[in-house]
Amino acid sequence: MMVDFVLNGRAVSCDAPANILLLDLLRSELGVLSVKRGCEQGECGACTVLLGGRPVNSCMILAARVEGRSVTTIEGLRDEPIMVALRKAFMEGGAVQCGFCTPGMLISAYALLRDNPSPTPHEAKTAIEGNICRCTGYALPLEAILKAAEMTPAE
Amino acid sequence: MRPLPGFNLHRPTSLGEALELMGALKSVKPIAGGTDLLPLMRDRAITVEDIVDIRGLHELKGITVEDGTLRIGALTTLTEVLESPLVAEKASVLREAVGHIGSVQTRNQGTLAGNICNASPAADSAPALMVIGAQARVSSARGVRRVPVEELFAGPKMNSLGKDELVTEILIPELPSGSGAAFEKLGRRRGITLAVVNAAAYLAMDGKKCVDARIALGAIAATPIRLPEVEAAYKGRELTPEAIEESSRACYSLVNPVDDVRASADYRREMACVLVKRAIVKAHARAGGGQ
Ligand code: FES
Ligand code: FES
Repeated sequence: MMVDFVLNGRAVSCDAPANILLLDLLRSELGVLSVKRGCEQGECGACTVLLGGRPVNSCMILAARVEGRSVTTIEGLRDEPIMVALRKAFMEGGAVQCGFCTPGMLISAYALLRDNPSPTPHEAKTAIEGNICRCTGYALPLEAILKAAEMTPAE
Repeated sequence: MRPLPGFNLHRPTSLGEALELMGALKSVKPIAGGTDLLPLMRDRAITVEDIVDIRGLHELKGITVEDGTLRIGALTTLTEVLESPLVAEKASVLREAVGHIGSVQTRNQGTLAGNICNASPAADSAPALMVIGAQARVSSARGVRRVPVEELFAGPKMNSLGKDELVTEILIPELPSGSGAAFEKLGRRRGITLAVVNAAAYLAMDGKKCVDARIALGAIAATPIRLPEVEAAYKGRELTPEAIEESSRACYSLVNPVDDVRASADYRREMACVLVKRAIVKAHARAGGGQ
């Protein structure tokens, strides 16, 4: 069936069988490779995207059901001040090791800072509770998120 | 990667149309958030030929209060429940329980009605909804009925709904003043985890005397359960610390949990007592603590 939706601010239209997941549509059909295929069970958060502005696991969503909605990945947030600050803080703080969890974690962190510009450490932890990282032990990503919050100019 | 098996996806735009489809199709499931359904389909734990997407049913959206009853539409996500000022005011125990479900991503996608309809014995919202007397409004082309939340659970991952039936909203009655409720969960770790045991308690107090008590436990049997014996022991009594201790110990012999990968039966039994006690103590304080 045809699905029309907005991907990173641009209207797209694709043919997606009913059993195709948003994760597969993004990676295989639309070439959005920042969205990672991890557990495919809704557990790891590597496939996190914004759907209507909220972080969701794209492996838990039928592609046909994003009809009329807006999907955002880190590609679409490249120049957003919050994402710029997060990227800088993650890189400078050594919050990336293998990097597999990083796009998903950045999406979760972005949504957090957009809604809550000065989160507490606990709020930051909750925001990335759905993003499993096998490398960093979470301390450096958490520090980077809090650092990015300080760096982002208040609006 | 293992693709999902094929199926037909239907996208009705009204409740009437959806119910007609559910009635006419043979092997059919509704989908709201899909966070429970899709993993089951991928694992071939269930197979369906037709899926009815209910997201287009605007009548299933939103949280409202009508004649004191809090109504939570079946499309309400767990995040919307958590963020709702109405839920915080009228059913704070539900808010407390929903905060324990899944991760941000899952709560943004999954629905409260789905958490119940999936009928996991460990569903965190279940004990909370059960102790505050929540009901589900269930519709089909045959008519509408109201079902207490505990009766929606038929067995592990099995609900009691007919294949043509759809939960359209969760209804929560107004709680009397002088009442309080609390939810407690024990998992193997703190974040995103299935409950080893979860518990909720509701108390209504008249001064120092307990006039009504409801207690529910999850992850301890094939379905979440109420504990009528313990509830009866509280009613009409003054809830001294000794009384609470004694009656929560009674849970030990009243439950018959299983051993599984998450915990042994004996540990679950011990923890059921501890969680019931904690929930009662908290509910008691919230009900005014017998002042
Ligand atoms: S791949 Fe989607 S949550 Fe792991
Ligand atoms: S950096 Fe490797 S999984 Fe997080």
